[in-house]
Amino acid sequence: MNKTNLILMVAVAAMFTFSGCGQSGNDGGGEAITYKLTPKQVWEQKCHKCHGDKAEGLTEKKTPAMNDRQAGELELDLFDVKNEGTNQSSGTDHEKMAHNMQKLLEKGFNYDPTAMAKFIEKNFYIGNKAEKK
Amino acid sequence: MIKEGMELIDAHFKNEGISRRDAMKIFGVGGTATLMASGATSEVRASSATGKIVIVGGGLAGMSTAARFSNSLDNPDITVIEPGDLATSYQPGQTLVGGGIWEKEALMYKTEDFVPDGTTIIKEKAVEFDPENNTVKTSGGKTIKYDYLVVAAGLKLAFNKIEGLEISETITSTGDHTPVSKVIGKNGLASIYFQQGSEDTWKEMQKFIAEAKSGKKVKGIFTHPNTPIKCGGAPKKIMYLTDARLREAGARDNAELMFYPNGSKMFGVKEYHNAIEKQFGERNMKWNYRHNLIAVDPKGKTATFNRHWKQKGAWDEDLEEYGIELKSKEITVPYDFMHITPPMVAAEEIASSPIGSMKGWVPVDKETLQHVKFKNVFALGDIAGIPMGKTGGSARKQYKVVVDNVITMMEGGDINNNHKYAGYTVCPLVTSIGTVMLAEFNWTKKPTPMVPLDPTQERWIWWLLKVYLLKPMTQYGMLSGRA
Repeated sequence: MNKTNLILMVAVAAMFTFSGCGQSGNDGGGEAITYKLTPKQVWEQKCHKCHGDKAEGLTEKKTPAMNDRQAGELELDLFDVKNEGTNQSSGTDHEKMAHNMQKLLEKGFNYDPTAMAKFIEKNFYIGNKAEKK
Repeated sequence: MIKEGMELIDAHFKNEGISRRDAMKIFGVGGTATLMASGATSEVRASSATGKIVIVGGGLAGMSTAARFSNSLDNPDITVIEPGDLATSYQPGQTLVGGGIWEKEALMYKTEDFVPDGTTIIKEKAVEFDPENNTVKTSGGKTIKYDYLVVAAGLKLAFNKIEGLEISETITSTGDHTPVSKVIGKNGLASIYFQQGSEDTWKEMQKFIAEAKSGKKVKGIFTHPNTPIKCGGAPKKIMYLTDARLREAGARDNAELMFYPNGSKMFGVKEYHNAIEKQFGERNMKWNYRHNLIAVDPKGKTATFNRHWKQKGAWDEDLEEYGIELKSKEITVPYDFMHITPPMVAAEEIASSPIGSMKGWVPVDKETLQHVKFKNVFALGDIAGIPMGKTGGSARKQYKVVVDNVITMMEGGDINNNHKYAGYTVCPLVTSIGTVMLAEFNWTKKPTPMVPLDPTQERWIWWLLKVYLLKPMTQYGMLSGRA
C-alpha cells in the first residue's frame, strides 16, 4: 500500500470519528420555525370545520375522528399529512388531507405537529372510551 | 478546513481506488481503535439507582440498550426477552450481501455473544403485555414483573399481504425464514429484507445478469410498499447495485430496470429526492411512482400493482379550494428479476396489546421515546411509533436517550431536562460499487450533514464508511453501549 494512501486513510478515519460519526457534531436541531398562529387558532379557524367541534370526525365530510388517540399517535398522522408521507417512497395514508394541508399551508395555516397533537389530546381526547370503541 | 481536506481525499481515492485488503487494515481495525480512543464515544452515566428493567427484543436496539444500562448502573437488573439465536445480527449489511460484496456470514452475530454483564436473557417470545400491572408474559408461560419496560421488538415482514406468493406467515429478518424462502429467493424473486434472502438475492441477481449477458432483453423490477419500512433506502440501493453489476458484466444495455414505489417521491427530503432522480436518470434507471405491489404470479413471472392517482375533485366550502378524488386501477407487468420490499408491520401480539396502537407501532413521544399512556414504558428501534427512523443510525441515537430517561426516572428526576431525540436518521445510499450518498436528516426534514460536505454528492469516502466502518462501529460502539 502506498504511503500517501495510508496517511490519507488514517486522516479519514480520524475525521469520521472526531467530526461526525461519534457523539459530537450536528445532532439535528435544524433551524427554528416560528408559527404565526397557535394550534388553538388554527384549530378554531380551520380544522374543526371538517373534523368536528369535538374532533369526533364528521360522517358527511368523511373525515376521521381525532379524539380517540393520544398525542404520540396523532403526531405521527400530522407529521405524515404535513410531509405527504414519512418514509422515503412509501407515500402517505392521508392523500386527500395531504393535498388539503398544502392548500392550508399556502394560506398561512401552519402549525408544529407536536404542539397541535398535544392541543388536540388536551382538549378532545375521550380517554378509555376510545379503547372500548 | 475539514471540508477542503475531505473533498481532496475523496477525489484522491476516487481516482486511485484502494484494495479491499488495505481498506480493511485501516477501517476494520484502525478505525475502530481510533473510535474507541477518541472522544467519539459518549460519556456513560454512573448511577446507583435500582430497578428491574425488562427489554423486549435483543436486536441491535435492544442489546445496545442493555449494554448501556449495564455500563451505567452499579447494580444492573436487566432481563432481555429474545427468542432468536441471530437477532443481534448486522442487518445494514444485507444490502451488501445482496449485491455480492459481502458474504452472509459477515452479518451473522450470535445473540448470546452480545449479552452484557448483569443481564439475564430469556430465550422466549414476549406474548402478553399487562402494563397496568407491570408484567409481561412469555411464550413459555413465565410472567415477568418489571419496574421499567423497554420495547425494542423490531418489526415483521408481511410477505403474506402479497397475493399469489402463498405465504401465510409474517417473518423477521433473522428468524425462521422457511415460510418465505419457499418462494422468495427462487425463479427471479428476491428480497434483501431477511438474512437468507440477502444471500439468495445475489444468486438470483447473478442469473439475471447472465441472461442479460447472453443477449436476452430482460426486465428487472424493484418495489417499495405502502407501509413504513426499515431502511427506506434499501429498495433503491439494491437497484443501484444491480445496475452496477450489469455494467461490470458489460450487459447493462440488455436490461431494463424499473423502480415501482407506492409513493410519489424518491425521498422525503427535497434535496435528496432531487439528487436521486438525477442519479437514476444518469444511469438509465427508470421509475414509475404510485404503484403498490399487490400480487405476484411466481410461475408466470408477472407482478400486479395497484396504480393510484389523484384528480381534481369538488369545490370544498370549508377549505375554500377544490379537493381531490382518488382513483386507482390494477396493472400487471412481466419481470425476469423482481426485488420485493415487503409490507412491514408491528407484531400482532404488540399491536393488539395495551401498549400498541391503531397502526400497531408502540406510541411514544418522539423526543423522549416514553409511551404516551404508560410512563414506565419506552420504545425504540423499528417498533417505535415515531414519524421516521427505522434505521440502525436512528437506533444509535435513540438508545442513549432511552437509557438516560429510564435512569433519570429511577433517580426520581424529570426526563424533560434530558437530551432529546432530535429525529436523526441516516441513509448511506449505495449508488454504485464504490460510491455512497450519505443522506442524513432529522425532524426538520432538512439535510443535517455531520461533516461539512455537500450531502447530495456520491462519494468514495462514504463508501468506505458504509463498507468498512459502520459495522465495527455497531459491534464495538453500540453493542458495548458506548457509542
